[in-house]
Amino acid sequence: MKSERQHSKILIRGVEKYYKEHTALSSIDLDILQGELVCIVGPSGCGKSTLISLMAGFEKPSCGSVSIDGKEVKSPDSDRIMIFQDYGLFPWKTVMGNILFALQAKKIKGEEAFQTAREYIDLVGLEGSENKHPYQLSGGMKQRVAIARALAVEPSILFMDEPFAALDAFTRMRLQDEILRLWKEKQPTIVFVTHDLDEAVYLGGRIFVMASNPGRLSRVVKVELPRPCNRTSSAFVSYRNELFREFQLVHEKTEEYII
Amino acid sequence: MGTIANNLKKLLPVVSIAVFLLFWQYSSGFYSSTLLPSPLEVLAALFELIERGVLAEHITVSILRFLAGYILAVIFAVPLGIMFGYYPLFHFAVDPLIQVLRPISPIAWFPLAVLWFGIGNAPAVFIIFLASFFPLLLSTLDSVRQIPSIYFKVAANFGAGKRTVFFKVILPAAFPGIMVGLHIAVGTAWIHLVAGEMLGSQSGLGYLIVDSRNFLRTDWIIVGMLTVGIIGLVIYNIMKMFEIFIKKIWGVES
Repeated sequence: MKSERQHSKILIRGVEKYYKEHTALSSIDLDILQGELVCIVGPSGCGKSTLISLMAGFEKPSCGSVSIDGKEVKSPDSDRIMIFQDYGLFPWKTVMGNILFALQAKKIKGEEAFQTAREYIDLVGLEGSENKHPYQLSGGMKQRVAIARALAVEPSILFMDEPFAALDAFTRMRLQDEILRLWKEKQPTIVFVTHDLDEAVYLGGRIFVMASNPGRLSRVVKVELPRPCNRTSSAFVSYRNELFREFQLVHEKTEEYII
Repeated sequence: MGTIANNLKKLLPVVSIAVFLLFWQYSSGFYSSTLLPSPLEVLAALFELIERGVLAEHITVSILRFLAGYILAVIFAVPLGIMFGYYPLFHFAVDPLIQVLRPISPIAWFPLAVLWFGIGNAPAVFIIFLASFFPLLLSTLDSVRQIPSIYFKVAANFGAGKRTVFFKVILPAAFPGIMVGLHIAVGTAWIHLVAGEMLGSQSGLGYLIVDSRNFLRTDWIIVGMLTVGIIGLVIYNIMKMFEIFIKKIWGVES
């Protein structure tokens, strides 16, 4: 079991990504273990979205390799589902319809698909909203639907690209707890991109810190906290300060005071 | 106070129509009725045409031609629009051709239409077809091209096949845009129906207007014009109701 946990799930070696003259990512190397929940943080323009998009197979690296379970990633796959900031729900389908779409694409049909969809609707606490359309739901509920749709096909990896960035603070915190609960229950590997440092500390067992121009990994912070953890504990605050220092936010702030 | 103001507001359109009719009645006093018949004379002409059964006949013919041309346009333009929207290379290839043909008024096609199809229903149907074809083609094309890429990403992520993507993503995602095209095309088609019938038909509302001119029955001309206007309004409203109904099914707030 222990060795199983240590098994490398995602392996990135020497990945670079260029868009014409612009270097979006330069010499990225990283390993993500099976069942890990890692966060990738960085300022906008550091290439964190590009990186997760490469891992999910939506884009291809200019050089280097991305492999999952030892196989090179060539295209998106239903074993690894991406959750987007703007949900990616089909507005013409109900909550149920959106989840059935995913199951039917995986050739799960009829009563079985219906049962599975219902199970995952319940799992994210949306019972009673099966027949609503996305426009009738709040942002938080929409993201729950997207999460239910993703989990319904039982992927081994969830990629989350700033999934809670558009939500208000309270909804965001509630969904963070939800993600931790689902992670413990279903044990997928989760790669979570965010620019919210609190969110990174609250969720990530390891935090990959990125810097821009060119987009690169600058540090890895290992967070040893129980999950879920107390957001006001001194350990939490010290991890957060470490990240703040990394981005020189603390430094800038003191400078402002001096001036 | 507020409700009284509201009720008065509702009366405003009635007032403007009344003012228009009074102005019309007043000015008709200065001209002979062959130049400008009064509203009352037009009303009398309306009853005359209804009584003779002529009006109903022309209306029926016009609506049938309109439906034929319009439905033909839908059958051709919507699939073509989806194809051009989905395959950028196709669109690239045909876009110059579309851009050249589009600004040509459907009426300019008339001489060719008569040469090709003779006199009768066909030229008018052809004109209506052309009048609805381009707005439908272009709005369908645009609505397919403007489908947010995230829908395709999600579909690809879950491993949806080409058929599923076409029927379960592209069609429904483009649908509201296609609906807008259907709406616009109804308007342009109806406007051109009259032109088509004025030039090459022996029946229909457009024919009624031209033919009445030959007899100097100005009152009949105006009856014809007003009938075209009112039916256009009715068609427009039916379309609007249909759109609201579709949007409800489709699950979009309207």
